[in-house]
Amino acid sequence: MFTLRRWWDRHRLQIILASLALGSAAFLRQTEGAVLYEVYKLVAFPFQPNLERKQALENAQVQELQQRLTELESQNQQLRSLVGYVAEAKKSQITAPVVGRSADHWWQHLILGRGTQDGVQPGSIVMAPGGLVGRVIAVTPNTSRVLLLSDPSSRVGATVSRSRNMGYVRGQTSNRAIMEFFDKVPDVRQGDVITTSSLSKLFPVGLPIGRVQSINLNKSPAPEAVIELSTPISFLEWAVVYPHKPSVQTVPSNPGQSSEKAGGSVPAQSEPIEPQL
Amino acid sequence: MRNESLFEQLQDRPVARVVVNCAVTVLSVLLCLMISPTRLPGMEVAGIGPNWLLIWVVAWSVKRSMLQGALAGLALGLIQDGMTAHTPTHVISLMLVGILTARLRKERYLREDFISVALIAFAMAVMAETVMAIQYSIQGDRSLVEIWTYHQLIALGSAVLSSLWAPVIYFPLNRWWQQMSLLEQQS
Repeated sequence: MFTLRRWWDRHRLQIILASLALGSAAFLRQTEGAVLYEVYKLVAFPFQPNLERKQALENAQVQELQQRLTELESQNQQLRSLVGYVAEAKKSQITAPVVGRSADHWWQHLILGRGTQDGVQPGSIVMAPGGLVGRVIAVTPNTSRVLLLSDPSSRVGATVSRSRNMGYVRGQTSNRAIMEFFDKVPDVRQGDVITTSSLSKLFPVGLPIGRVQSINLNKSPAPEAVIELSTPISFLEWAVVYPHKPSVQTVPSNPGQSSEKAGGSVPAQSEPIEPQL
Repeated sequence: MRNESLFEQLQDRPVARVVVNCAVTVLSVLLCLMISPTRLPGMEVAGIGPNWLLIWVVAWSVKRSMLQGALAGLALGLIQDGMTAHTPTHVISLMLVGILTARLRKERYLREDFISVALIAFAMAVMAETVMAIQYSIQGDRSLVEIWTYHQLIALGSAVLSSLWAPVIYFPLNRWWQQMSLLEQQS
């Protein structure tokens, strides 16, 4: 008893400090570093790109193209209403500065400077000039963490926009991604545009992902194509967040790439793949 | 001069000394945590930056016991898990870094602090990324070829950058801790 007491007297301070350190570390782990990202936002505030100026600098050609697109979209809406298509409501958008990247090298994340206070929710879609970037996986009041398309754990249901051949795109940590096709002999050519498919439960249909760079039809088990992502992910300065509710999953996800495997707090972007398609 | 008066003041007050020492240590950890999500120009090669938490664990463990190194690795590993993803965990790699750095009796091989810390950081960064790659391989949701080709890139990039930036964290911290232990012995 006496030796125990003496030992405690000698090591009391160390033990208390060590348990404090471990306790706060465990707290940060459980809250997914929310406090840290909030502080980070404050510290990074002076370095954030100026959004107003950025938008003012958009040149006339882009504006012209946007106006033409609006015109075409409204025509499309009218035609859809003629054939009785129920259109989705126009969604609000949140412009957000990119304030950071992943805190280690194995994950491809973006830290955005907008959070729940601006209406960002987990599952929101993130777009940038060029097309789809990824989706929000964690939010704090003023920041949000985005899992990029280029992350190897990301899986997005995709389709070849010309021939409507289906497949899924998985990230490759660089500006390239791999698309695996469901068909044995897909109709795909170099330069084809790849967009999100209607089978995707996590993303709305028809968002541009990239272009086909090269094709390998002999790849087993499924033919593959290398996709060049159309967004310059490595030097993004701002992105646009669109709130999106992932549709209810009717088919249980494929066990080979289930989200449990990617684990923990980060739900993998596994797309449930319907066997009959 | 101001520094010396600060140290003199701290010499007479053990409680204040512990508080200030803890504050400096926690602030240095916070600084490392705040730099990790940034990719500042000049600090990155092909999108890969220095592994700041690993540098901190190395700086902490160089002149401490294996248990202290392991505890630091555990705490920072938990925090980094929170900032990225829980699986695969960073706890194992950072704890190993702490234990091995404390286990190295570097005085036996190298006198020069500057070079030895850079070398330790290099070796530890390679080891830490290898532990991560092994965890990914066991987990099995990425293909082995992808994991290990990416591992080569990360291990080399983060090892080179970490070893270059290690002295920036190591020197001020180590000097501070040395002063503190000197004061402890005097009082």
